[in-house]
Amino acid sequence: MQLKDIIKSPCGIQFMLDRLELQSGFARYWLLNSEMMVTAGDIEAMYGVLRRFVDFITTVDTPYINTLLHKLQCVKDLRTTNAHLHQHAILDDIELFEIKHISLLAADVSRLLADHGMAGVVEIPCLDEVVEILDPDGMKIATFYVYDSYDERLKQLRAQMRKHPEQQEELLIEASRIEDEVRAGLSRRLFAYADAIEQTQNALALIDVSIAKARQMQQLQLCFPATSADGTSRYREMFHPQVKAVLAKGNIAFQPVDIAFGKTPTLITGANMGGKTVVLKTLTLCQYLFQFGFGIPAAAATIAVKDEVYFCIGDEQSVEKGLSSFAAEMKSIDAVIKASRKQINVLALIDEPARTTNPVEGTALVSALLQVLDGDNVSLVMTTHYDIEPGKARCLRVKGFENGSMNYELTEVHDGEVPHEALNIAHSLGIDSQWLELAKQLLRVSRNTI
Amino acid sequence: MGLEKNTGKTECLKYVLSRMPVAARRIAVTSIGIDGETVDQVTRTQKPEIVLREGMYFATSEMHYRQRRLVAELIDVSNESTSLGRVVTAKALTQGKILLSGPSSAAGLQRWMKQMQDNHRMDLTIIDGALSRLSSASPAVSRSMILATGAAYSANMTTLVQKTAHVVGLINLDLTDDENRSLLGPIDKGVWSIDTNGELKDINKETSLSQQVHLENVDDCKAIYVAGALVSGFLEKVRQNRKLRNVEIVVRDFTKIFVDPQQLRLFVGGGGRVTVLQRSRLIAVTVNPTSPSGYTLDSHELCHRLADAIQLPVYDLLKTEP
Repeated sequence: MQLKDIIKSPCGIQFMLDRLELQSGFARYWLLNSEMMVTAGDIEAMYGVLRRFVDFITTVDTPYINTLLHKLQCVKDLRTTNAHLHQHAILDDIELFEIKHISLLAADVSRLLADHGMAGVVEIPCLDEVVEILDPDGMKIATFYVYDSYDERLKQLRAQMRKHPEQQEELLIEASRIEDEVRAGLSRRLFAYADAIEQTQNALALIDVSIAKARQMQQLQLCFPATSADGTSRYREMFHPQVKAVLAKGNIAFQPVDIAFGKTPTLITGANMGGKTVVLKTLTLCQYLFQFGFGIPAAAATIAVKDEVYFCIGDEQSVEKGLSSFAAEMKSIDAVIKASRKQINVLALIDEPARTTNPVEGTALVSALLQVLDGDNVSLVMTTHYDIEPGKARCLRVKGFENGSMNYELTEVHDGEVPHEALNIAHSLGIDSQWLELAKQLLRVSRNTI
Repeated sequence: MGLEKNTGKTECLKYVLSRMPVAARRIAVTSIGIDGETVDQVTRTQKPEIVLREGMYFATSEMHYRQRRLVAELIDVSNESTSLGRVVTAKALTQGKILLSGPSSAAGLQRWMKQMQDNHRMDLTIIDGALSRLSSASPAVSRSMILATGAAYSANMTTLVQKTAHVVGLINLDLTDDENRSLLGPIDKGVWSIDTNGELKDINKETSLSQQVHLENVDDCKAIYVAGALVSGFLEKVRQNRKLRNVEIVVRDFTKIFVDPQQLRLFVGGGGRVTVLQRSRLIAVTVNPTSPSGYTLDSHELCHRLADAIQLPVYDLLKTEP
């Protein structure tokens, strides 16, 4: 799975990408097309690089970093040129220019990084030989044409053109024949460097992305996660950057949450507006950020590596597919169950399953789901409003209304009973009192009959 | 900038380029979108090609770069694509012919010009404007302009002089005062009123579409700022409002004005004023007395009458002295 596949995920990863200050369009393309890492080794190596870049941007002077960023801005998208190189096609002036340009650029970036002890943090292939091929006069300037020094005949023809502009048309035709020969020769010599040139472009993209991630970590106060060895993920003071930013506009502080979950299913209950969905969104976001090597929005985090991540949020009505909200939800949970039967590690985050159907069947569906997703390879975190028998599941409850304000903290409880705070919360929202009073009376009647 | 196809814009560019001091100044040339076709795409008449001189910098599309008929050294390939490929910038190493097709939007053009000035220290950039992209003549892009007009715009000399004088009048509209310029500069949408104390009030924050702008309740109004296009309907509304008889209408620049000459004359005659936030300098007007259908006006008389009407030098670049 690639980053571009989850960009529209309701967990809000788009927000993180929007706030990533990348220098080149190619770096964005490279990042969006990068695969999700699924081994602890890959993830740790990526964070190793990121740590070095965080040190780099905190210790190195701003003008120096700006010079480096400016260089990275100049990185072009060489995919077509690279494809031509791999196909052993003859390159034209524009493509030869691009190759020379990136070779010189890579050398500059290497030098800028090496000057600050960053040599080898990202492996940049040395393309000095490519530069030599495309820079016969040793000018070291990123410009290109089929230079006079490639062929004595070109030199003479061009001199003649300047002297006799009236003969230019014929002379150009003759010159272009020689230019074609030169280009064919140059292209043949460059075929051997096709892989190195591609690696160079990717290395420059990785540097661009790493600096952007490092700056994002500072701006949004993100942390470096540790990799969990026991399959349990633990977050201290976890927050959702997007929700935090929205609240900050209204001068409201985001209350961070501590949470840990592992192979035992975890059930979160709590009042409406208690932040249950935000907890699931944040957990999904953090898992993706971890497996794509970004900073994590928490004070501290230890995260277990997963092969697949499923975030089922009930309200994804799919008009185009002609599915009702219930059908869409059932389909997405079905995918989780199918995945859980494969021999892979799955993280399943399910928000209020079966909420749109009647409470009798809904309760049964949720209780059964808890049992079906009880495999060792599945980490399940689920929220619900239904009273269900938790069985083996761990139950967490949002503390809820305390002294007139909402406490979003999660506490462990030992029964699955859901709090009955809907009427109080509706009251605090200033909802029509006649309606709420009537509801209260009905509630009393039904309790008495029970 | 040409007022119509075949008014001699390319001929004018050719003339300007042939007289530039290439040795002493770094000069870059481009066009907005397609230009310099060997045959005019619309009327199928012959068009002169652009001849660059050794040492000039130019931007064109990948496709036209490959068709160049000169020796050139590539200095940049942009990330922006046009329908003819990416825009490449190069330096002419010999003189020769080239088809110019530069950045296709005003914003792209602005980026290119900034890059040419910052990274390649250009002294002057010349843009071949396109009729369909008047925005390239906006003062936000270019500081000064040369206007090409001619029989292709109107074959009736009186009409031609009147219509050209109207455009020249728009280009030469007065700048509004400094206070208004700093106050209104950052606002890019809506319609706003400024009262006698210089206080800004919104009439419509979102749009300047005349149907959605209501002026009935505007009191104590010294000036109205129209951030978008100024259209006839709006001007008519202002003119009909007695309270706004002597009002000043401020627009961003002349490319935002879409009112017919008659309407504008009525408004100004009634005591109103139209001013701009940004203004570009009109250096000269050139005329092509021949229309693509073959009709030819008297060049001498046309130059004379037009110069009289607009108080600016008017040239017929191809005129053969009798």
